[in-house]
Amino acid sequence: MKILVTEDNVELLKDIKSFLEEEGNICEIAPDHRSAFNKIGIFPYDILVVDITLPDGNGLDIIKAVKRENIEAGIIIISAKNAVGDKVHGLEIGADDYLVKPFYLAELNARIKALYRRKMYNGEREIRFNEFKIKPDSYEVFVNGHLLNLTKKEFDIIHFFVVNRHRLLTKEAIAEHLWGDDIEMADSYKFIYTHIANLRKKITEKKGVDYIQSIYSVGYKFTDRE
Amino acid sequence: MNLVKKTNTQYLLFLAFLFPIMMVVDYFFIQYIVNSEVNEILQHEQKRIDFHLSKQGKLPTSNYLMKTTPLERTFDTIPEFKDTLFFEGYAGKQIPYRTYSFTTSINTRPVRITLKHVLLEINELIWLLFITTSFITLILMVGIYFINQKIYKWAWRPFFENLSKLKKYDVTQKNPIHLKASKIQEFEELNKVISTLIDQVEKDFQNLKEFNENISHEIQTPLAIIRNKVVLLLESENLDEKELKRVESIYQETNKLSKIGKALTLISRIENQEFTRMDQIDVHTVVVNILSSMEEIIDFKNIKISLELDAVSMECDHILGDILFTNLIKNAVQHNKKGGTIKMRLTDGKFEIINTGKVSEIAIEKLFQRFQKGGTAKDSLGLGLAITQKICEIYGFELQYIRDTDTHMFSLFFANKKVLNPSN
Repeated sequence: MKILVTEDNVELLKDIKSFLEEEGNICEIAPDHRSAFNKIGIFPYDILVVDITLPDGNGLDIIKAVKRENIEAGIIIISAKNAVGDKVHGLEIGADDYLVKPFYLAELNARIKALYRRKMYNGEREIRFNEFKIKPDSYEVFVNGHLLNLTKKEFDIIHFFVVNRHRLLTKEAIAEHLWGDDIEMADSYKFIYTHIANLRKKITEKKGVDYIQSIYSVGYKFTDRE
Repeated sequence: MNLVKKTNTQYLLFLAFLFPIMMVVDYFFIQYIVNSEVNEILQHEQKRIDFHLSKQGKLPTSNYLMKTTPLERTFDTIPEFKDTLFFEGYAGKQIPYRTYSFTTSINTRPVRITLKHVLLEINELIWLLFITTSFITLILMVGIYFINQKIYKWAWRPFFENLSKLKKYDVTQKNPIHLKASKIQEFEELNKVISTLIDQVEKDFQNLKEFNENISHEIQTPLAIIRNKVVLLLESENLDEKELKRVESIYQETNKLSKIGKALTLISRIENQEFTRMDQIDVHTVVVNILSSMEEIIDFKNIKISLELDAVSMECDHILGDILFTNLIKNAVQHNKKGGTIKMRLTDGKFEIINTGKVSEIAIEKLFQRFQKGGTAKDSLGLGLAITQKICEIYGFELQYIRDTDTHMFSLFFANKKVLNPSN
């Protein structure tokens, strides 16, 4: 998919760009308001990632312009301001999602993919990875065609893994994905540890390959690469 | 002691000091006047008698005549005044008289004539003085009191109005203060000084606010970059285990820093009163929603929850209400032990949450301070209760904490609402 990221911090922009490109996307960047407008005017994008505070304007104006021109693109706001007002306003004027800085790139990736799926396939697309098949809308995971009996959080974990395959997912990133920022606590990590153990058991029971690698005590990687 | 009392007391002290002095001075002064008047009368009488004698050769009738003493031979004695006391039968007491003796001759026979005139009695004089002086003093006192009162009311009024305005002034609320102008130069100067001070305080407060907000806000982007780079580093396959451990701890500390920044931003936003909505929140629903979002962790820790929740509503910003209850419940879950219990009771205006847990090492009075963490939770920042406390502060809620050896109880009283910024 084609993504335009508008963000004034060039270093962050580079990180986002390289992360998204490694995921097989075409990612263009706009460090300011003006260049974002120029690019949106010329090229079609599937997803726009927009920072609200830009040096030469407000990111909300970009969203308004996109909606006014009837440009078909999913919009995700990224903002350092954890202001609920901004969030509500952004979603009201047509943004699809809102992410507060500092966010995990894996989280941005998951949000982009979910939004893309909702926009382009009306949410009916399955996610496949080797013998895994995930139906995000019915919260179902199939291994070799067998449905896994998972709890809601186990589903969330495996979904997050498959969307961010081959990437290191830290415990913190997983916890934040599962519970958001406010509720996450020390017990969350133990919870994740236990539930990943359960997941492994459930996958191998259905003759699936356990692709979950533990990366020391930092986190996990879901991959079929060595 | 207020100003009017203080000035009145000073005046009174001054009058009390003046009173005996006035008495003494008046005493001698009046005595002097009376004496010289009596002297004049007596000398006048002498002249009248002398005149009579030279014309008619006999003594005239005189009210002042006391006695005439014939003299053996003529010799000029100097006329003299004398003060004496005579017993007066009608009064039954000694009465002071002034006598005046002079020499003259009746039909060439030398005589000494003594005249007398009654004087004021000392007792009477003192009484008279006391009464008149007291009267004057009283009039002075009453006059001063009323003048003072009038000055107090008229001249000091702007001062007291400004004083009560200043008492109500709160730098955290954005109500500008308008000092009442005064025609009195000193008060005008005071007003100017106060206005300058307030401007400075407001500017400093604003700067501090912006600094707090900016610092915790601006660090978020650099932290995000550091974190992303660290994750990339962790993904790299060229690190040995030792290096990985170091990078991992960089990662964890960066996360902590980011959370501290977020929590402090929240606290300063609460302080800056960015949450001004007054929502009617259904506490019952809020609590149940929070519990369901923590459901897995609660089950995971095998914590038994017992609820006694009435349908109660509470008036505050819904975001802050959510944070308030989330923090209280999260606190009870986080510091609980495996297989512990949490009891929640919600009645009108009161929410109680009792949880089992380890013995806390934090002194109760320090519990709500920032960065106070229990020994059991290494990863907690110690900002949750500080945020809770801040929310209670701005709404005038009360949060109490009681602990037994291994049970902890927080009681939140949210009935006593304080209206925020009534002018906004």
